[in-house]
Amino acid sequence: MMLIRDLVGLSFRNLLLHKLRSLLTSLGVIFGVGSVIAMLAISEGAKHSALAQIEAMGIDKVIVFSRRPPIDGKSESSSENASVMERFGLTEQDRQHISRMDNVERITALFDTRNKILKGLQRMDLKLVGCDRAFLNETAAEIEDGRWFSKIDFDSNAQVCVIGMNVKRKLFTLGDTNVIGSNLRIGDHVFRIIGILDNPYATQLPEVGGQNDMILIPMTTGKILFKDYTFLREGRQFKITRVEYDIFLVKVNDTFFIDNTSKRISGYLEKTHEATKDWGMIVPLELLRQRERTQNIFTIVMGSIAGISLVVGGIGIMNIMLASVYERRKEIGTRRALGAQKSDILLQFLIETVFLTTSGGITGILVGVLIGKIITNYSGMETIYSWWSIILALAISCIVGVIFGTYPAYQAAQQNPINVLRSE
Amino acid sequence: MAESQIIVQLKDIRKTYITGDLQVPVLKGINAQVERGEFVGFIGTSGSGKSTLLNILGMLDVPTSGEYLLEDVDVSRLSDVEQATIRNRKIGFIFQSFNLFPALTVEQNIEVPMLYARVPGRVRTKRALELAKRVGLGHRLGHKPTQLSGGECQRIAIARALSNSPAFILADEPTGNLDEKTSNEIMELFHELNREQNVTIVMVTHNPALGPHYDKIIRLRDGRIDDRLFEWEIARQQQLQQQQEAAQ
Repeated sequence: MMLIRDLVGLSFRNLLLHKLRSLLTSLGVIFGVGSVIAMLAISEGAKHSALAQIEAMGIDKVIVFSRRPPIDGKSESSSENASVMERFGLTEQDRQHISRMDNVERITALFDTRNKILKGLQRMDLKLVGCDRAFLNETAAEIEDGRWFSKIDFDSNAQVCVIGMNVKRKLFTLGDTNVIGSNLRIGDHVFRIIGILDNPYATQLPEVGGQNDMILIPMTTGKILFKDYTFLREGRQFKITRVEYDIFLVKVNDTFFIDNTSKRISGYLEKTHEATKDWGMIVPLELLRQRERTQNIFTIVMGSIAGISLVVGGIGIMNIMLASVYERRKEIGTRRALGAQKSDILLQFLIETVFLTTSGGITGILVGVLIGKIITNYSGMETIYSWWSIILALAISCIVGVIFGTYPAYQAAQQNPINVLRSE
Repeated sequence: MAESQIIVQLKDIRKTYITGDLQVPVLKGINAQVERGEFVGFIGTSGSGKSTLLNILGMLDVPTSGEYLLEDVDVSRLSDVEQATIRNRKIGFIFQSFNLFPALTVEQNIEVPMLYARVPGRVRTKRALELAKRVGLGHRLGHKPTQLSGGECQRIAIARALSNSPAFILADEPTGNLDEKTSNEIMELFHELNREQNVTIVMVTHNPALGPHYDKIIRLRDGRIDDRLFEWEIARQQQLQQQQEAAQ
């Protein structure tokens, strides 16, 4: 142990003796480790933001949604003035049935009123949506200002609304301080704004859209004011659409039962909705798993590509160390004459190489972090430095030193001191 | 058991180099011995087998035949590891071109043989200071060899050779790279060590002018020991005889 400590000090001094050469020698490892760190940080960041999106949907949920069934082509050929009645999607009966299933803790429903929302004469890409009171707790959204619906709002069918961040941005001017308490007029109805909601992940719900683009009203109010019917005029044609519910957020009491429950729900819906494919289902947990798999593959591929430069760096170091052994034959011979064992010489050169690669590795980690920061600054891509990637980089640079230092060190130990001392 | 006074004993040492089909005998039967406290010079021109004998004495090479007894132990056929250990503990090497390590300070240079003997750090530091003082360079411990003059470098090399208290010092042309004045200083240091600390010194050189410094001279010529005396030796013997006669 004592000798090892002395040898580490010795190799440090030897490397300081040739500062520029040491720097150039370890440059390969510096950039190799740097690119490994940066690559891992970038793919970890990409993974994290992708997974956060999915996780914000709720991994303990199954999302069931209504959708317009594919058109057969027959109904399209109706006469110009005829009104078309469309009825599809999830029903109260579905809700009752699903909520009675095993392991289903709660269903939170959303109902899109399919109203046009105008600012002046301009149609806005916003939705007026009725929701259950539990909706806030079932999403990653938070109340930014004001309050959420009270039980009284629901019981009294109050004409109040909570608007998403984007709604505020689109309907009000920037400095407007009186948003809460002001009235919002939609069609023939007026709603008082009681709160502003912000979903930092801007979670998208199928068919309905982003949570920050919603004007939420109590489900009870929505059902009374708008019934289940929507009248839409398209040219001369009237279209009546009837959808009872647009979204069910089905909360399962344990993620362990997600697969089972989602199968049961789809089995049930397939049976009751017969041939019409007027519903869809998203299982965030499954999306998460898939995404995780592809992201992990991505990480491995990126890391391996960066790892190649590390091998190149290692070969460079081996080359220089071999030259260094030749150059330092006199030193080796002298040490042998003074009583160094072959193993002492081997250890000295090995430690020197490992020292070189490891200090290169540490510099490389700093370089990698710097590269990541620059990328984040200029492209906005998220980068994450995990502890394991830093430990991995250190371990790899150490191992590179051992692998590519062993042969030169062996060569050094095999030098014949006689030739060496005579060669002067 | 009384310690033997004979430190080095060479018995019919032969060394033959084989290159292809060609056998080149370099040492053709060397018999010699060095006693404790002696200052012995091996003098020979180049081609006399001097370097080969140096390598064998320093245990960097093994003889083709013959016995090399170092403190009564035959060391001519030891394993690599044992050889290195004996080099470390029993032999203090001094080289013509000093062979100090430029990356290390004077103190660390002196410590190198102790490092290989696994001497603990605190003991090493103390001994290094002691030795540096003995060679008159106690004030230069923190310097690098490149900051020292040739003579100072050789003094440090001598301190390094002494660090494990070896059985004998093996010096290879120690003054070959020095000017005459510094040479004399270094030789004087060897004499001091020899006289005051009873250090046994074996010096290998081509330079007959160094002859008067030695207690005993072993001349090498063509791989054999040459019994013929140098002119100055004859002169010195005559002088001694005359002195004795005069005293009587």
